[in-house]
Amino acid sequence: MKINLKIRNRIFSLLTFLSILLFYQSAAFAHKVYLFAWTEGDMIHTESYFGGNKKVQGGTVKVFDTKGKELVSGTTDENGEFSFKIPEIADLRIVLKSSMGHGAEYLFKKSEFSSGQVPAAEVAAEPDTGQESEAPLRVTPEGGRLRKEIDAALDAKLKPVIREIAELRKEKGPGVTEIIGGIGYIMGIMGIVAYMKSRRKKT
Amino acid sequence: MHISEGILTAPVLLSGAALTVAGTAIGLKKIDYDRIPQVAILSAGFFVASLVHVPVGPSSVHLVLNGLVGIFLGWAAFPAILVGLLLQAILFQFGGFTTLGVNTLNMALPALICYMLFGKGVKSNNIFASSIASFLCGAVAILLSSIMVALSLYFTGEQFLTVARLIVLTNLPIVFIEGIITLFCVRFLKKVKPDILEVVYEN
Repeated sequence: MKINLKIRNRIFSLLTFLSILLFYQSAAFAHKVYLFAWTEGDMIHTESYFGGNKKVQGGTVKVFDTKGKELVSGTTDENGEFSFKIPEIADLRIVLKSSMGHGAEYLFKKSEFSSGQVPAAEVAAEPDTGQESEAPLRVTPEGGRLRKEIDAALDAKLKPVIREIAELRKEKGPGVTEIIGGIGYIMGIMGIVAYMKSRRKKT
Repeated sequence: MHISEGILTAPVLLSGAALTVAGTAIGLKKIDYDRIPQVAILSAGFFVASLVHVPVGPSSVHLVLNGLVGIFLGWAAFPAILVGLLLQAILFQFGGFTTLGVNTLNMALPALICYMLFGKGVKSNNIFASSIASFLCGAVAILLSSIMVALSLYFTGEQFLTVARLIVLTNLPIVFIEGIITLFCVRFLKKVKPDILEVVYEN
């Protein structure tokens, strides 16, 4: 009877362990929220997702300048994406708020804009001048249609590369190293506390 | 359940931190030398539990096991959960350093409350009463934690009822799962090591 109980307990702990492993394998680490942004033409695209690549749907995205002024806001679509016209060429702080106090931030550096990009306001204003867009191809260092066309071609060529980089930058959920390491830390802290308490006991 | 950085306001963060410091101080005083390993083991359990995810709708929830920690540790749940959360913040980027106080309070206070409410019931020799108390301990702890997270968000200007409903609803499956896990853990430990509960209640 006693042996029976022992075996049952063993089986119980084994099953618990296995079920935790199973959970661990199948469940995505959908807890931390990530936000990435990149430019394409005159747009900034953002992609938001929980760890484990689960998209953030209906999260609020807000864009602030360095002074904290809100420039753009919107909600993520079903793919966790939200795109907007470049509000200005400056450091931008893109903030995501999803449900239940989850959030993420992405600092879009001024240097991440390519030189040909112009803020949406200026793009919209341009057609009014009329002549500019009809200008002949010129090989001048600044401005001109040639420049724009090269930029457009480069954007198209680089699109998969930029995507790839965004993909690579995605952080993976915590790995076995972190988990084992964390448990190790806890055991270490236990040792320290035990040491302190044992010293107090002696004195 | 972990509130990310940059969402709460300073008063909420500070009062959360202050209460956590107080709770941790009391908890550390209540740990006697022989119970240090037990606190460490439960802290490690809590640390790993948050990796077990259950996908629910657009978000996902994970195990917290604060009811379990509470029933075995009482006041010592504060230091145990604080250490667990600190390591989760460092290694998994769950929550954050500034929100450590609030997060600890949100999870440790319900643990303590459940210990006070259901401790006697769990200890009971009547298997039925003990089982019910264990289940409730695990379930109510999560429920209270959800409400506390909603409260923390409420103080930062979110609509309390909307947020509370959302958090409680998404955590509902976890409420049941944790109740059952706590029930099984208590039953198992009572069989294998019946004195484990006795030690706690001598204090």
